[in-house]
Amino acid sequence: MEAGVILLLLGLGLLSGSALLAFFWAVNDGQLENLEQAPEVIFDASEPMGEPGDCFPDARSREARARASSNDSPR
Amino acid sequence: MSDLLQSLNPGTPPDARSYVERAEIDASLRAPVLLFFGTGVAWLLLGSLLGVLAAFKMSFPHLLDSADWLTFGRVRPAHLNIMVYGWASAVGIGVGIWLMARLCRVAPRHRGLLIGAGIAWNLGVLAGTIGILAGQSRSIEWLEFPGWATPILFVAYALIGVWGVIMFRFRRPGHVYVSQWYLLAAFLWFPWLYATANTLLIWQPVQGSVVGAVNWWYGHNVLGLWFTPIGLASAYYMIPKVLGRPIHSYYLSILGFWSLALFYSWNGMHHLIGGPFPAWMISASVVASVMMFIPVITVAINHHATMRGHFHYLKWSPTLRFTVVGAMTYTIVSLQGSLMAIPSLNNLTHFTDYTIGHAHLGLYGFFTMTMFGAMYYIVPRLVGWEWPSAAMIRWHFWLAASGVALMVGSLTLGGFLQGLELNDPQVAFLTSLKTVAPFRFVRACSGILLSAAHLVFAVLFIRMLLRQGGPRAEATLLSPPEIPAV
Amino acid sequence: MNKLPLLFVGILLVFSTSWIGLVAYPYLKLGRLAPEASRDGLVPPPLTASAIGGERVYAANGCIYCHSQQVRPAWLSTDIEKGWGPRQTVARDYIRESPPFLGTMRTGPDLTNIDVRRPDRVWHYQHLYEPGTVTPGSIMPSFRFLFKVQPIKDRPSFEAVAVHGPHAPPRGYEVVPTQDARDLVAYLLSLKHNYPLPEAGDPPAADAGK
Repeated sequence: MEAGVILLLLGLGLLSGSALLAFFWAVNDGQLENLEQAPEVIFDASEPMGEPGDCFPDARSREARARASSNDSPR
Repeated sequence: MSDLLQSLNPGTPPDARSYVERAEIDASLRAPVLLFFGTGVAWLLLGSLLGVLAAFKMSFPHLLDSADWLTFGRVRPAHLNIMVYGWASAVGIGVGIWLMARLCRVAPRHRGLLIGAGIAWNLGVLAGTIGILAGQSRSIEWLEFPGWATPILFVAYALIGVWGVIMFRFRRPGHVYVSQWYLLAAFLWFPWLYATANTLLIWQPVQGSVVGAVNWWYGHNVLGLWFTPIGLASAYYMIPKVLGRPIHSYYLSILGFWSLALFYSWNGMHHLIGGPFPAWMISASVVASVMMFIPVITVAINHHATMRGHFHYLKWSPTLRFTVVGAMTYTIVSLQGSLMAIPSLNNLTHFTDYTIGHAHLGLYGFFTMTMFGAMYYIVPRLVGWEWPSAAMIRWHFWLAASGVALMVGSLTLGGFLQGLELNDPQVAFLTSLKTVAPFRFVRACSGILLSAAHLVFAVLFIRMLLRQGGPRAEATLLSPPEIPAV
Repeated sequence: MNKLPLLFVGILLVFSTSWIGLVAYPYLKLGRLAPEASRDGLVPPPLTASAIGGERVYAANGCIYCHSQQVRPAWLSTDIEKGWGPRQTVARDYIRESPPFLGTMRTGPDLTNIDVRRPDRVWHYQHLYEPGTVTPGSIMPSFRFLFKVQPIKDRPSFEAVAVHGPHAPPRGYEVVPTQDARDLVAYLLSLKHNYPLPEAGDPPAADAGK
């Protein structure tokens, strides 16, 4: 029984400790700043914003996609 | 290749570097991710079969009742555990490691860890399933695998967690995208949940009703702190990526992440309202369940605002179609869950099929649909080949969507009527069974629709591995022979 | 926006409390309860060896997926009116069970007080062998794999189960329970939580729960 309590407390300490560490790291690293540009990190030069990235593998969908990407200018 | 890119989007200069980077990551993850996906699909088929069998046993109790290993009380937990660990977790791990590597933007190290983990994970699921069917289950819901099978799963999982942390540690510097937050949290939360639950319930069982508290603390958190973060991580990547539009409000997405972590972990006791526990524990869970409105609404607003004006994309992107249906279901199922935690409503739905409907809406309507969406995006990039048939994808979608709608609809309505009668002291118990019987039959039939959907997907997946159909010639994808030398 | 860090620290601390609240607290508070002394001896009474075996059979065959074992309080539900028990169940009711089968479904009746409602051993054997013979309309599966159908030797065995109707054994054969069936029934007949406990409030009357 007592071993269980120690195990629980240990786990709890580890969990909250690592969560706090993660959080302070995020603040110090500037992860919580500049949240307006942040969501753009998933795009890059070869998969740019404004270009849809997926379609059904048939001609109809492909054409629709090409049309859509020429209509939507990036941003 | 660059000609094609030029023709699709003339304003973009072809950037070979980001191409090569992605191709390298995809190539080195091909084996482990396809291992998790492939075995996941196999478990999905077996799990569907057992689910349909268990459902029909409700209507025809004499169906296959002569052998102990096929009795309802073993087939049902076998179905649940195969779906949770064999399918949903495996495919979630596959999507998770792929997303993690892609967002860290470095070729992953220690691929062997992942392959070893994948093999061990499947052995663990196999051993556990055999254990349940052989009568080794201790009937602790969501944790029926016997104590000699769970350590295999835990070790496999620990390898994945270690890999995830190493991956994150050696990522390319820069902003950490919200999906990475979700994934890293899921990778760390799950082993902690699983170790606590197994220690206190299976290896060193605690006394009496404490089992119930720990059981549902685990049972609910495995949904909220394992499946939900993976599903949302995928949605937060796939929706903007397919649309080519960044997520509407990044601030909301971060707020959503932290409020999920806060409130979800307190939810579990709403499975035990009226049970043998101090009132404050139950009340805390009810309050936390209602507070789940905050993270859910933030996600819903965010996804909807990102999609606004672009809903026509659903017509031609399989990834987006599955993911958006999954994300919308997330909103519905979470709000439903919050309402079900309110004691007066819980009183009606507790102990009925309504809860089963809710569970399927969450694990299937939200998580499984989101994972299908992610697989439609990821698999072509891994095998360098295009999905062989648009018609089959459409069949898959409509069978799965109508199947889950029919299942949840019949269970919800049937469970509601069942609850009214279970609560009425004037009504005999057997009457509630008669009332719910036709709904249960419809539910069993909806299982056939879902199984058909899974069969279509499995055939598509195998054809993909065999490289049937046309080659993939999209700008977003590199086929391996075309990687320019670096 | 500059209050954000403070907000997050708060969120994190509350987050780790769920573990204290829902795992560590019940472990410490409810995990060391002892049976209560009453004039009929200790309550809840300890399980016999056979009933402990039956608990395993109950778990192995997943009875929990249709049968709950908990009576919710009267202010919340009609469980007591419905006859599932004379009082709500409390933590002390479950201290002898490993694991307790609280359950989340009532596809079948609640079993907290099944011994009070069905004290007859033979009824349970018949019911497990072929539920429809004693409860027409039941959708419980048959558990005939817990029984042996064997040729009658010189005279019928003393614990042979009388089964009539279409599911009766062939002429010259009898149905006898295996040890698993005996254990399971011993466990079911141990399910009797109508004794008073101080923390469970006053039971309305001594004969309630029938």
